[in-house]
Amino acid sequence: MPPWLEYASGTLLVAGAFFYFAGTVGLLRFPDVYTRLHALAKADNLGLGCVLAGLALQAETLAAALKLLLVWPLALAASAGVGYAIARRADALGIAPWTRDKSK
Amino acid sequence: MSAATAFDLLLAALLLWSAWRALATPRLDRAIVLFIAFGLLMALAWARLAAPDIALAEAAIGAGITGALLLDALGAWKRRAGKDKPGSPS
Amino acid sequence: MTGLELPVALFLLANLAAALLRAARGPTAADRMLAALLFGSTGVGVLALLAHAGGGTPLIDVALTLALLAAITGVAFARRAWRAGQPPTKGDDDAPVA
Repeated sequence: MPPWLEYASGTLLVAGAFFYFAGTVGLLRFPDVYTRLHALAKADNLGLGCVLAGLALQAETLAAALKLLLVWPLALAASAGVGYAIARRADALGIAPWTRDKSK
Repeated sequence: MSAATAFDLLLAALLLWSAWRALATPRLDRAIVLFIAFGLLMALAWARLAAPDIALAEAAIGAGITGALLLDALGAWKRRAGKDKPGSPS
Repeated sequence: MTGLELPVALFLLANLAAALLRAARGPTAADRMLAALLFGSTGVGVLALLAHAGGGTPLIDVALTLALLAAITGVAFARRAWRAGQPPTKGDDDAPVA
């Protein structure tokens, strides 16, 4: 493996870890369901995407890299569907979105 | 302490904590979510123990299907409780 | 293998610990479920990292299964289990309901 590929892979892994961290912090700190859903989608899409891309750069064969990258669109579709379902249900239950005025 | 040892120790601590919380918590919805988390951590533990087939079974059955079935059962139970006593569904 | 996989996996596991805290004490049922969903996606990342840190390629299959079934659990929660019976207030944390 050439060294530049190793550096690129490591950078992507660290970036993915950062997005996972941002998603977790958002889940812990954000005020209501909708904003927490937003934080969760960041961790799902960007965090997992960066980690999987970083690992795919290290894969020995093309098939292994493609299989790793296949997980990502699956997770994208899954998180989009779940986010839609939960946000719609929260709206149907009458949970009002958080606004800045209410926090004062 | 190497990263592998730290990973295993943290995983074991999380497993014990989530199992204890899932058993000791008084509310069913909380217990179900903690059970799902426990199943996922168990799948990670099987993966660390170099048993990917058991990890696959645990991820599919323990964390996925059983969690969805328990949530469905809780929803059905709440619907029935709400029908019997319209004032106080759980 | 750059030797970076296991430290990153350890960091993600620490994130899981924080999300478990939210799952245990989150004020509403939806917050707990969102923590469980974050568990799912972080678990997929950890499994993919473990597969490259010496676990072997079958762990990728485990990660795929986990990604699918976490979504099924989330949809089952949103469509079947989430009722209006629990008001989404901060105060229902200690309500002694079955």
